[in-house]
Amino acid sequence: MITVNVKLFGPLKDILHADEVKVNVSPPYNGEAAFNALAEMYPELRAWKSSVRLAVNLEYTSFDRTLTSGDEISFIPPVSGG
Amino acid sequence: MVSITTDPIDVASIYQAVQSVHAGGIVLFAGTVRNRSQGRRVNALEYSAYIPMAEKLMAAIEEQMRAQWPLHHVVLVHRVGMLALGEVAIVTAVAAAHRKEAFEACRFGIDRIKAEVPIWKKEHFEDGQEWVVGRDDADTPMT
Repeated sequence: MITVNVKLFGPLKDILHADEVKVNVSPPYNGEAAFNALAEMYPELRAWKSSVRLAVNLEYTSFDRTLTSGDEISFIPPVSGG
Repeated sequence: MVSITTDPIDVASIYQAVQSVHAGGIVLFAGTVRNRSQGRRVNALEYSAYIPMAEKLMAAIEEQMRAQWPLHHVVLVHRVGMLALGEVAIVTAVAAAHRKEAFEACRFGIDRIKAEVPIWKKEHFEDGQEWVVGRDDADTPMT
């Protein structure tokens, strides 16, 4: 089991009522496992799975990216800046 | 130069910052808060960002602009927090020798920021609030 810090923004922040949450991730220790662990705690997140992008340590990456304990990750909802 | 700021954006000072005797053309885009969205009256827009990631991606966009066009100066700045109608949310400004590269680079900069950079807007209406996600007018990500 590893633990990662998940930063929350926009609509996801409103769902969890938090800026940040620690999540324990089981094998295969990747982005998808982290999302599933979080969605287990907050089922409302499931609807976002197909539209969020994974960021690990400030970089976009794919959901199969392997995570390391202490990584800062975020599930980035569709952006709307500008 | 890129930044995310909570302060009002001073368009005139950004124009000054990109001015150069080497530049024959300056293109400055300012994105401002509009009073209507999807037929509803907007009172204010609230912007939030994943600031360290947003600044990192904006710096990468500046690098891409400079790699693709010969530019003398580039300023990309986005404001976060609560913005009133008419206020400036974003400025992308470039100075180049000629107008063609200035227009193209400026357009590229604003389009990439809107598509890639982790910044979100929430519309505040008379009767509620709504995050803007997945609207048709949003650009598709490059990657």
